[in-house]
Amino acid sequence: MKKNIPNRPDMSHEDASPVLRWWAGGIGIGLVLIVAVALVQPIGVSAQYVVLDGVLLHAVLPDIASTSPYLAKTAQGWTLATYEFFFVLGIPLGALVAAMATSRFTIRVVPTEWKKRFGSNPGRRLVWSFAGGFLLLFGARFGGGCTSGHMISGISQLAISSFVFSAALFISGIITARLLYRDGASRC
Amino acid sequence: MLTLALGLALGAAFGALLQLSGASSHTKIVNALRLKDLTIMKLILMAIGVGLMGVHLLDLFGFANMKVKDLYLLGLILAGLIFGVGFALTGYCPGTALAACAEGKPDAWVTVLGGLCGALAFAFLFPEVEESLMTIGRYGPVTIPDAAGIHGMWIAAPLGTVCVWLAMRLPEPGGAQ
Repeated sequence: MKKNIPNRPDMSHEDASPVLRWWAGGIGIGLVLIVAVALVQPIGVSAQYVVLDGVLLHAVLPDIASTSPYLAKTAQGWTLATYEFFFVLGIPLGALVAAMATSRFTIRVVPTEWKKRFGSNPGRRLVWSFAGGFLLLFGARFGGGCTSGHMISGISQLAISSFVFSAALFISGIITARLLYRDGASRC
Repeated sequence: MLTLALGLALGAAFGALLQLSGASSHTKIVNALRLKDLTIMKLILMAIGVGLMGVHLLDLFGFANMKVKDLYLLGLILAGLIFGVGFALTGYCPGTALAACAEGKPDAWVTVLGGLCGALAFAFLFPEVEESLMTIGRYGPVTIPDAAGIHGMWIAAPLGTVCVWLAMRLPEPGGAQ
């Protein structure tokens, strides 16, 4: 049996211990990858951000969208009705059902760790979330994949590119997190 | 139509697993990067360990639909470094941000919005980046077994075992923080 930290009312579910233990979640994600590789192709997420961009831009300003060969190639046919996009669409759906089923749907703007370090100003959190999201997807597209495509799918295929990208990602993420959340500097 | 339904179903399973195992939690991700709570590292290692062995087992029988990404050393290192900063700032990755969106996290909505802008910016910069940064150390879609000239299972089986072993060995946080 897993030890469950009781959910305090002031506590967002993200601070509680997860429903699934790491090994169960890990095996599950590994199995999703295996099924995907057997039936279609390895899993990936970040390219679909480009696809959505392409389809939206093409709907509003088709001339500008067509000037980007990368956009035209990634969002082939300017359609969202693809296996890849529906896979990504499934992620929030599955997460919503899982969160609802385990009563872990909680609305909060500022996450706990961020609040401890940077205070509860929602504007500040949102501005940095936007900037961080920008870097996240810029880096993912530059590298050709994200945590799903490179780390999970890529390393499972022993792709050298995925080892390089994942190593750089973790080194940078760990250094940035250390600088951002310096111990002893927290103002509670 | 069937492939769309399959995509949605696999994606939903993936999203549910991310949610239930805490991968979409800002606290879990940030504390993983601060090396204070290695649950997420254990989760990733376990997924990769299972994936390595399963994918190469499929490959052994010719059932694996592989899709290996190109190697371009300098560009990949820079890309990983940029990604890492975004990862630590947001506490999400492109997939878990979508899961967190569905759990009612407005900072994840904004992360996705920023992500759409970042992806668009890259799309328009791509021709220049491809001709410059992505040409240095460019080798195409190579894998370790390709380079070594052996079947992938020879590497996947021991490496997968090491991943699972490491996942079990890394410390788990002792209850409350």
